[in-house]
Amino acid sequence: MIDRRRLNLLAVACLGAFAFATGARAADPVTIGAVEILTGPNNKYGVAIKNGFDLALGEVNKAGGVLGAPLAIAYEDSAGNKDQAINAVRALIGAKNAPLILGPTLSNEMFAAGPIANQRKIPIVGTSTTAVGITAIGPYVFRTSLPEADVVPVTLRTARDRLGVKKVAVMYANDDAFSKSGYDVMKAALEKLGIETLTTETFGTRDTDFSAQMTKVKSVNPDAIVVSALVEPAAGILLAKKALGIPASVRVIGGNGLNSPKIGEIAGDAADGVIVGSPWFIGKADPVNQKFVAAYREKYNSDPDQFAAQAYDTLFIVADAIKAAGAADPEKIKDALGKVKHTGVLGPFSFTPDRDPADTSGVVVIEMKDGKFGLLQ
Amino acid sequence: MLAQQLLNGILAGSVYALFALGFTLMFGVLGVINLTYGFYFSTGAFVALHATRYLHMQIWEALPFAAAIAGLIAIVIDELLLGPLRRAKAPELSSLMVTLGATLLLYSLMTAWFTTDIRRFPPTVFDGGAFEIQGLRITLSQILIVAAVVSIVGGLAWLLRRTKLGLAIRALAENDDVAQLMGVNVGGVVHLVSFISGALGGAAGVMIGLNYNAIQPYMGESMMLKGFAVIILGGLGDIRGAVLAGLALGILETLTAGYVASSMKDAVGFLLLVLTLWFRPVGLFGRIAAKRA
Amino acid sequence: MTHALDNFLFTYQSLIYALGINSLLALSMYVVLAIGQLSLGQAAFMGLGAYASALLTAKFAIPFPLALIAAAAVPALLAFVIGAPTLRLSGVYLAIATIGVGEVLRIFYLNWDYAGGALGLNGIPEEAGFVWIFGVLAVALAGFAAIARSRIGRAMEAIRADEAAAGVMGVNLPVYKLAALVVSAAVAGVAGAFNAHVSSFIGPNEYGFDAAVTILSFALLGGIGSPFGPVLGALVLTALPEVLRPLHDYRLVINGLIIVCVVIFLPGGLLPWRLSRIGAPR
Repeated sequence: MIDRRRLNLLAVACLGAFAFATGARAADPVTIGAVEILTGPNNKYGVAIKNGFDLALGEVNKAGGVLGAPLAIAYEDSAGNKDQAINAVRALIGAKNAPLILGPTLSNEMFAAGPIANQRKIPIVGTSTTAVGITAIGPYVFRTSLPEADVVPVTLRTARDRLGVKKVAVMYANDDAFSKSGYDVMKAALEKLGIETLTTETFGTRDTDFSAQMTKVKSVNPDAIVVSALVEPAAGILLAKKALGIPASVRVIGGNGLNSPKIGEIAGDAADGVIVGSPWFIGKADPVNQKFVAAYREKYNSDPDQFAAQAYDTLFIVADAIKAAGAADPEKIKDALGKVKHTGVLGPFSFTPDRDPADTSGVVVIEMKDGKFGLLQ
Repeated sequence: MLAQQLLNGILAGSVYALFALGFTLMFGVLGVINLTYGFYFSTGAFVALHATRYLHMQIWEALPFAAAIAGLIAIVIDELLLGPLRRAKAPELSSLMVTLGATLLLYSLMTAWFTTDIRRFPPTVFDGGAFEIQGLRITLSQILIVAAVVSIVGGLAWLLRRTKLGLAIRALAENDDVAQLMGVNVGGVVHLVSFISGALGGAAGVMIGLNYNAIQPYMGESMMLKGFAVIILGGLGDIRGAVLAGLALGILETLTAGYVASSMKDAVGFLLLVLTLWFRPVGLFGRIAAKRA
Repeated sequence: MTHALDNFLFTYQSLIYALGINSLLALSMYVVLAIGQLSLGQAAFMGLGAYASALLTAKFAIPFPLALIAAAAVPALLAFVIGAPTLRLSGVYLAIATIGVGEVLRIFYLNWDYAGGALGLNGIPEEAGFVWIFGVLAVALAGFAAIARSRIGRAMEAIRADEAAAGVMGVNLPVYKLAALVVSAAVAGVAGAFNAHVSSFIGPNEYGFDAAVTILSFALLGGIGSPFGPVLGALVLTALPEVLRPLHDYRLVINGLIIVCVVIFLPGGLLPWRLSRIGAPR
């Protein structure tokens, strides 16, 4: 009898110790990694993304965190450099034991760093990588950003149907991966929609003189000019268009690079009439988005952009996957990611079997008017 | 379209010419390839930008002001970097390397300060008005650029050919020891040439910045790559050659973009550079270069 | 313990490879500087080696050692083509020509869709490892050290000290200069092949002017008195920014500053001694 009681006591004690042990472990946060451009010339993208993550992180932890512990993010800076992105991913996996990595910011960085995570079987989730072929790197590479291949056809179809665009001139920067990949998508979409391409002109991302190309564009009389470029050269094109006296009725239709308020800041009134497709728009009226915009403004004293919005949604998606996985285990998280269904500021979200976003219903077409983007009227 | 393209070409070419002028003058007289030259181009544009924005200067005040500041900076950089090497009679490649290192340093600091964001002049600085003559469109800033380039080139030619100072500069270009013996104040003339070159680079920067309305720290670096092509094509140290080669490059690039393929536009200059080095290293019009080499 | 070691190696693998590859690049710069010439095309030669070998292994499944030979041969051929006319002229012409070549190659890659254009080349097999990189580095270092102590090394030193005098003394200037440039391009090309085959992805904008200047700063910091100087320079400048993280943002500033200060104040670099003085019979 006594023995039996002692045994029970022992069992209780053991249980208590176990509970204590797991309790102590629960206090340790579940730390995932993030590789973003936090310094250097392109840090505006990385900082917006970090802001989006941090805002969502606060809300996730306020609602109880994941697996009974707070969620935490260990940030590493890639400075926009692919070698540094590789080192960052290696450090997060090797030294910090991160079960999942967010980022990196640029498609180029993902092409370099993605294979490392994939090889180590650690899921890596890009929130801003839109190039073709990102998720083809391997089964552990995901992205939550709509690839240009999903957004651009919507923009061009809208331009054809609503503005009667039938023949266009195409311009793209042929020296950076982002713009070239956007161009490939545009070319395919134009063919599919039966829009005629009168001429295709290229330039360098750092160019400032577009007069030769725009003179040629003017001479072929297009209905619209389709542009795949980062925001700076795109603004230069808009200024050259105005200087050469190409009428305002010839719209500039842009890829994601033009989807930035900076286009209006740099090009001024020459930017009026620019049309872009966007997975997200600050003026979207649904309450989830309104709440996000208000919270972002309160915390950071500035307006969120699409990169912040994508990051914000992604953190909830990842948190859901970790909860569903039931453990901070890369393999289980990877399987759970594929099954997540989430409705966020970008609209309804789930992954395709190829780990790309499945739903494009959130895409909106917006136009620049008086230096501000609004829904295309 | 041909007339408009030629106009685009002449415009780009005159700025190349102006830029290459200071670059080749520096080599012709001081005997060094000064790679910090592109930095004066960026400096000129940034000084003019800030002068118009914060000192509320008009553009015709800001242009000489920015050129002068770029010239003064050129004197300081020359004295700090190349002065010690000149006195030590160091090999010519030392000066090339030292200015190379300085270029990297200066651009990185400038980027850290101003970031790589593109800036533009306040819209009130210059009326972007344009004339249209039989479909040919010319803006006011383009007229200003061509007029300024013509007068600056003319002024420089007059200075070099018709004044005593010009004689001293040319004497220094021929042989600095002899020039010194003949009573030329070598130190003074070196400073003067640095100043003129820096000012030319700075002025070119203001005009490019004004015409394309895009100013950022690395603008000088891309210009330098064109500058190399122009001064080699024109013959190292050959002033007339630099002007002609600059115009030629501008027109050829524009025609290539307009009639061949715009993706080949940037290759034109480098192909010319490589071909010149291969077949005619003294430059298309060069005599001076042959002696220098 | 092995797990911890494994994690450590995984974390620092790229850095360890970079140490070896950058040392090779510094050696390639050394060969040209050792005869008093300046090439700003080392990054371009590296890129050419990277592209040549990566195309062979990724698209044609050619074995890595064969691709490595191509990575040495293709840049060497280009160096011959550029060097033959320009090395007859003053050193300035080689410097400018090599900058031009870097730009022409960049534009070429960008317009060459087969090699991925602006998107770069993906899916390069990770063939180069620790043994390859440091084996080749050791062989190159030993070879250059042997050359530096030989007749050839003394002739190179004579050219660097006074080209005209060396010519009068019977040193065959054009042959020495051209040979140095060709060897240097081949070494840079091999480094490029390693670079491509450790990271699985290369892009056309990675072998530009900044990279060329960084390679120069390796060699100048270490000093070009012996081949060990540039390697030391490469090790210091590669490891330092990783150890002192804040230095990372100012990498280019520091590289620039090093070049300026070394040329003006410390023309010998960190290791100024010539090899022949160490243990050589007097």
